Amino acid sequence: MVPDNSNNILEIKNITVSYGPIIALKKVFLEVKQGQVVILIGSNGAGKSTLLNTIIGLEKPDEGRIIYHTDDITFWLPERVTRSGIFLIPEDGGIFRTLTVKENLQLGAYYSFEKYSEQLDFVVNLFPLLKERLKQTAGTLSGGEQRILAFSKALMANSKILMFDEPSLGLSPKYIIQIYDTIKYLNRYGYTILLAEQNSVQAFKYADKIYVLDDGQITLDGSPADLKDYKRIKEVYLGR
Amino acid sequence: MVTGFNLMFLVGKIIHFSYPYIVVISMYTCWGMLKITNNPYIAVLIAIIISILLHIMVEPLFYYINKRRGMIDINSSFILSLGIAMILTEIMSHQINYGFPISFPVNWMNSYKLFTISFIRISSGQLYTLFVSIFIALALFVIIFKTQIGRAFRAVAENITVARLQGIPIVKLNLLLYSITGFLGGIIALLFSMLLGSASPWLGEYISLKVLAVAIVAGLGNIKGAIVCGLALGILESLIIHFLPGSWSNAIAFLLMLLVILIKPRGIFSE
Repeated sequence: MVPDNSNNILEIKNITVSYGPIIALKKVFLEVKQGQVVILIGSNGAGKSTLLNTIIGLEKPDEGRIIYHTDDITFWLPERVTRSGIFLIPEDGGIFRTLTVKENLQLGAYYSFEKYSEQLDFVVNLFPLLKERLKQTAGTLSGGEQRILAFSKALMANSKILMFDEPSLGLSPKYIIQIYDTIKYLNRYGYTILLAEQNSVQAFKYADKIYVLDDGQITLDGSPADLKDYKRIKEVYLGR
Repeated sequence: MVTGFNLMFLVGKIIHFSYPYIVVISMYTCWGMLKITNNPYIAVLIAIIISILLHIMVEPLFYYINKRRGMIDINSSFILSLGIAMILTEIMSHQINYGFPISFPVNWMNSYKLFTISFIRISSGQLYTLFVSIFIALALFVIIFKTQIGRAFRAVAENITVARLQGIPIVKLNLLLYSITGFLGGIIALLFSMLLGSASPWLGEYISLKVLAVAIVAGLGNIKGAIVCGLALGILESLIIHFLPGSWSNAIAFLLMLLVILIKPRGIFSE
């Protein structure tokens, strides 16, 4: 069967990444189509963060290619990748704690500052709670609010692909649902989403496509409906 | 001076020990240019340019070290800075004016007495210095807290990885930072030459100790604190000089600093 590459927005081909002698990713492949929600599941240390960091340019692969639209972005610097429309929200939230909420949002729009006020309106409409906190120092927000600020910053940047590294980590169930609903909303609004997650129950609910990353290798991929029946998935990720 | 120092620490997480030495170098440049061209404007311009160039030259060194170590390492950059300082001192003491102190022309200093309040004499040079430094401090303040570039500086200081993920170009920003510090250094050199009227290879050492001390007392990386503490130290020292024999002023100033550090280890102005 000839794979259909026509509307791939991001394509990862046989990426291998190592830290010294330790191989973190081994010939990993992944495709993201325009408008999809792609979720990467895997346990701690499976290489999810490494993969996202490699896409954004923080890590350099030993071999393989990363193609975004028609550009080869494999060895671009993070600032250039971000500029071209891919935005990573890292695990620890990726906000500047010592700066105010407003300053965080202004920095989110670092290279698209001419659209700043327009984007700010959009973000404040989406998350009304930010409105009254604009002057507050970001470090004083609660964990869930900080996550929302990190989201908003990504939206300020006017990107095309949003990548989330474990967005639900350390949040209460109430916030997890809110975060995922927001992700779904953003997806409908036009953002393409790539997400790394341990919490696979959510993944099966929201994803268009799932990749299972196990010890640095993609062991399974497919739509949630396809994957549900695999024995290993049931045992390891769904706890049944 | 302390302001520039703290700016470097705040943004670059670098203890820029060689800063005062670069300032002294630009004093030397200014002096040399005055001698050759006899035109104060050219001398001033070139001194500032040299200061900026020197900073841009040392920037890759700091960047490279931090990159090789894979983290922002205050200690190694401090040692590097110390090394640069020594090299500069040696160059000055061997190559320029046979190592003798240099002195600026008398009219350069503007040191005629302006007015006198009881035992305090204020010369116009001192007044210039005061106003220029307050102006520079204010300008820095506005840049750092009110502009996008300032925000980017503070963002890089807090978390360099996240800053890169915002699309902030850190290499360009670093160069800009060093240029600003260099520019500041150039201005400071001019003020110093106006105030002191002379410079020697060992001046850098003398100043750098004091700058480091004031920076620590004010809280490393704290710009407001640096301005206030710098001014306070200046006033304190001149008062001591008036009431006690001259050499006491340093001893008392450093004693006070010791006390401050014992009571508030992170500096007066740190939270």
